[in-house]
Amino acid sequence: MARTRTTKKLAQRIDLNYFKRSTPLKRAKFWLSLLLPLLALSWIAWRGYSGDQRVYSSGPMSETHAVLEKECVACHVQKSGALSAKASDNACLECHDGPTHHAVGIGGRKELTCADCHAEHKGRVDISAVSNQTCTVCHSDLPSNGGTAHYASNIRSFEDGHPEFAALVADSTRGPGTVKLNHAIHMQPIRRGPTGPTVQLGCADCHRPPAVPPPATYSDSNYVGAKVSYRESVRLIAGVANALSPRRPRSGRELLAPVKFANACAGCHLLTFDERFDFGVPHDQPEVVRAFVVKKFQQYIAEHPHELLELRDPNRDLSGKPRSPEFRVLTPAQWIRERSTDAQELLWRKTCAQCHALTYRYAGSLEQLPRLPPWSHAPNGHSPDHEPLPEIEPTLTTLRWMPHAKFDHDAHRSFSCVSCHEKVLKSTASSDVLLPGIQICKTCHAPGPEHAESRCFECHTYHDWSKGKEVPPKFTLPALHTR
Amino acid sequence: MRMDQTQRGWALAALAILVSSAVVYVFYALDAPQGPRGGSIIGLTFGAVGFAFMIFSALLGARKRVPTWRVGRAQAWMRGHLWLGLLALPLILFHGGFLFGGLLTRVLMWLLMITVLSGVFGAGLQHYIPPVMTSDVRLETIYDEIGRVRTLLREEADRAVESLCGSLGLPKTSDQQGRRAGGFTALRTMAASAVPLRTSAAVSAGASAAVAAAPEIILLSAEESAPLRRFYLDEMRLFLERSKQRGQRLGDAAKASSVFAGLRTLLPAAAHVTLADLEDICDEARQLTRQERLHHWLHGWLLLHIPLSLALILLGAIHAVMALRY
Repeated sequence: MARTRTTKKLAQRIDLNYFKRSTPLKRAKFWLSLLLPLLALSWIAWRGYSGDQRVYSSGPMSETHAVLEKECVACHVQKSGALSAKASDNACLECHDGPTHHAVGIGGRKELTCADCHAEHKGRVDISAVSNQTCTVCHSDLPSNGGTAHYASNIRSFEDGHPEFAALVADSTRGPGTVKLNHAIHMQPIRRGPTGPTVQLGCADCHRPPAVPPPATYSDSNYVGAKVSYRESVRLIAGVANALSPRRPRSGRELLAPVKFANACAGCHLLTFDERFDFGVPHDQPEVVRAFVVKKFQQYIAEHPHELLELRDPNRDLSGKPRSPEFRVLTPAQWIRERSTDAQELLWRKTCAQCHALTYRYAGSLEQLPRLPPWSHAPNGHSPDHEPLPEIEPTLTTLRWMPHAKFDHDAHRSFSCVSCHEKVLKSTASSDVLLPGIQICKTCHAPGPEHAESRCFECHTYHDWSKGKEVPPKFTLPALHTR
Repeated sequence: MRMDQTQRGWALAALAILVSSAVVYVFYALDAPQGPRGGSIIGLTFGAVGFAFMIFSALLGARKRVPTWRVGRAQAWMRGHLWLGLLALPLILFHGGFLFGGLLTRVLMWLLMITVLSGVFGAGLQHYIPPVMTSDVRLETIYDEIGRVRTLLREEADRAVESLCGSLGLPKTSDQQGRRAGGFTALRTMAASAVPLRTSAAVSAGASAAVAAAPEIILLSAEESAPLRRFYLDEMRLFLERSKQRGQRLGDAAKASSVFAGLRTLLPAAAHVTLADLEDICDEARQLTRQERLHHWLHGWLLLHIPLSLALILLGAIHAVMALRY
């Protein structure tokens, strides 16, 4: 008879106290449930015992603070009697100053803390590379946040809401510069030059950063070393008053130095004033130039007195009829005055005026008259001996076209100049603003890994470093390494 | 616990919490100047809620240990454990802004992920294995008693074979006499009998020990019983002792059937009933082995899930305190 089973029979073979007995599975579960938490607790206790608080760190520290990775107390200072040991601004300011932004505090906004923008424990990142939101929290809606209206008020990112550069907006597309320079001509092959029959100028032949030695190809050593009477600074536009100063000292390679006549022009543009001399006048104020001319003629006539007897040039009669020679004997003073008047006419009307805007102010007249030949339009009673000198307008070279932003030409040196300054090839007036537009920047500076950085900090600074203070050193090197 | 329609309410509630949390997180992450941080108000809220879910899930163990607690039905606790424990992972990821942070927080995140994933794996097993158990293990017994039942099966087989072949000279345990694992009289002592006995119809019907004691002696000659004796000692008894050992013919139902069919041709008809009993015992032993394996799948993941979750709760509490401090 085969085996049969009923529930009753099956139940009878079960030990009713089976649940009181342990099984390998239960035992393993119990011991593992005991051991693993104990192991975790031991790990924490061991870390605490060895004084290593890094286990509680919320992440690796930034590149610049990585050396403080083990020095939690450098920032997390516990006040007596308090549980909290949060890092405060004081901990930051003990090592480096952080001058406040010019707009902080306006419109009732609370004073920002360092950590509001500079998030630590986010990994080995550049802690100064703050997110756009730290700026756009105000600049995305500036008026309602109490900002003033002369800034763009709805900037959400470089791609969204950032206006065109101020120098290029419609009402100011003409620059303040007064030097007359035709870039288009200078960028074409030039027939005559000091280096050969045909000259092809490059941008760097004239434009160099201050830290780079000026090019010698088109310079003239007589002018390079010469002292000038005018002040360079009055001819430059350095920036705007409320621009925030950058923190780090300039390398001298960010911006381009103003082009100087001695370094870039003198090689071709000779300031010759008379055929008797093979050198030119100084590149200086008209008073200096006139004094130089008179002095040179004085020296010349003293050495060449026979030139006081002046023979009329027969070829000067345009009728073609032969004329009897006429003689004229001049006194040295007459000769000098006539020659210097001729030379000045050449200089003021052609040589200097080729590049500079000249104006004349007569005695008793406050009105400035542009380019008036003094001897033909002189007021009654005017004597050639008292010829008025022209005034040369300041060149007003703009040093920084974007005073609220920082730009580094050196960082862009791999790109040809005209790839950004494409308008140079067609520019005929020096007042043309040849600053590239924001779209040129956006071709490279855009979000995404395949583009260059486009966050606000790349071009703008937050802190007003002109108000920065020196902070005494806090750490000694051995302390950092022994802990 | 099966994943069926009864889970719908919890599933929808969990989905609603997840979606609303995700919406809050997206707006918070886009708006936060520093990006999402665990220390912000919203970050802390995510962390606190996530940790609360973890603690609730961990309390299931306590609820099971004290089933008499009047704190809701066990089924509700289990569903809460499943869905809120699952929600803890996204909430903690929102808390940390999907960053693992420092050493302790990295350890916590990995512990959480392993715990949740092992839980999901376990829930999947709990869904799929019980039906398999029902179909494959008809003679399912209490897991803790499998070893004991297996011993009873071996002893019953010993007696059945000895009833045909005479004494096999096998050592007997003190309480072995009279016990038959087939459910005859499992724990009751049967009437002592000097000779092996085979049950009658009354016994097979579940009669008492007194009825079962009725002797029915069928003893084969040594020559007749040789194939059975050899088969039992060399193969079947080893199988009953070590059922989990792989590669045994009796461990495979089809092969076992063919083995017993061969034995029937070698043994006289009087032994066929006993052979059927032995085949039945082998089948039950096979089912117990199958049950054991399924049980290990069904509960083995808890060896990872429970200890890790306890370590997670402990370290999570430490993290909460120290994060508030720093």
